[in-house]
Amino acid sequence: MIHMKIRDAACRGCRFCVDICPTDALSFDEATQKAVVETVEDCIGCLSCGFICPSGAIRHEGHHVVKNFYRNLYFSRRMEKFL
Amino acid sequence: MSDEKIRLNTDWLCDCGGCHVALVDLHEKILQVLDSVEIQHCPVLTDVKDYPPARIGILTGSVRTEHDRHAALVMREKCEIIIAFGTCAVYGGLHGAGLAHSREEIMEHVYRRSPTTKTDTIPDAEVSELAKMVTPIDEVIDVDLYLPGCPPHPHFIFESLASLIEGREPRVTQDSVCGRCKRQMIKGDAREIRNTLDEVPDERFCFLSQGHICLGSATLDRCLAPCPNHGIACTGCAGPTMQILTEPYLDIRTEVSDRMARLTAIDEDIIKTYMEKTAKTQYAYAMATKMIGNKPTFLIKKWIADVEGQINE
Ligand code: SF4
Ligand code: SF4
Ligand code: SF4
Ligand code: SF4
Ligand code: SF4
Repeated sequence: MIHMKIRDAACRGCRFCVDICPTDALSFDEATQKAVVETVEDCIGCLSCGFICPSGAIRHEGHHVVKNFYRNLYFSRRMEKFL
Repeated sequence: MSDEKIRLNTDWLCDCGGCHVALVDLHEKILQVLDSVEIQHCPVLTDVKDYPPARIGILTGSVRTEHDRHAALVMREKCEIIIAFGTCAVYGGLHGAGLAHSREEIMEHVYRRSPTTKTDTIPDAEVSELAKMVTPIDEVIDVDLYLPGCPPHPHFIFESLASLIEGREPRVTQDSVCGRCKRQMIKGDAREIRNTLDEVPDERFCFLSQGHICLGSATLDRCLAPCPNHGIACTGCAGPTMQILTEPYLDIRTEVSDRMARLTAIDEDIIKTYMEKTAKTQYAYAMATKMIGNKPTFLIKKWIADVEGQINE
């Protein structure tokens, strides 16, 4: 089961996530000008919303992690060391 | 935790000194740090000339001279944990942007043609010779931890040191600068790229929405977003987000131009080309490291040659 959270304080209200979601799992609250998770059951875990979000406000848990074919190994070896 | 204090060395390689000032800038929190840390070699605080053995070693700056190389190697030998502290240490930083010019051009400009002084001699004694290239610290020694930021905000410095001292994970997020910016990202109708000489952008709305380049969405927040919250677009001084560093085809210019195109009436390719033409500025802080240099999308030599070829023609 996928869990999703959008942190309001970090959301800049750009609606990119709402526009890009292929399954309309997200909606936009006009009153607060923030994105909200509407139907998490519809989320297919594609992470498109997370990648396009300018601030990193969207977090997913419990989604299937696809291994990438290529990563920047030079950085990946250092990634865990970032404070 | 035992009562014995954790010994700390710091040293300052090729850099502006700002990171060491930021360490002192912990204000009263430095007293809290001093409760558990004994500061030994530290150019801004102590007069210890040698490098006593230490648990934590903080290195700021990048390697550009023999002195830098020597200091990095000795620090590695004497300290159990080396932290690359600040954008210069992590990615080469602003000093890394020296890569865009030859050593001769830099020496000429600084010592012979500096518009603000009258000297005309290139020094050959006392100062150690400038190496041909800037080398990020981790190409000279192994680095255990990286703390980007130019300089990192005391909030992150304190959290990093406290987590190390207490032996726990640091409580920090991987948010970009936008995550702390107070501006609203609205869809605007800007038709061309503008800068602050053209107009003062409305402080309620995102720079991108108004046609101004802002690197906030491509930059890791290690500063609490002071610039966009005080009227100035982010120039990316803390270096790129984890997303850019991990994904080979995401890059500073692709991320910013994609988002800006969605928020304005400006074509994505126009923004991307603009950012390539101004690449020395857009990539100023992180061009020296292979973490960026190895990316298939990063063609800085070509971008610079394209612009300078046009100027020379
Ligand atoms: S992960 Fe994909 S499906 Fe799920 S909310 Fe985001 S964009 Fe929609
Ligand atoms: S993409 Fe991010 S910042 Fe934009 S509306 Fe969605 S959650 Fe908010
Ligand atoms: S990271 Fe920035 S503040 Fe720190 S030494 Fe380098 S230029 Fe100065
Ligand atoms: S792009 Fe710049 S102005 Fe816009 S939300 Fe991000 S930091 Fe703020
Ligand atoms: S330029 Fe960007 S990363 Fe640097 S301090 Fe300003 S907001 Fe932070």
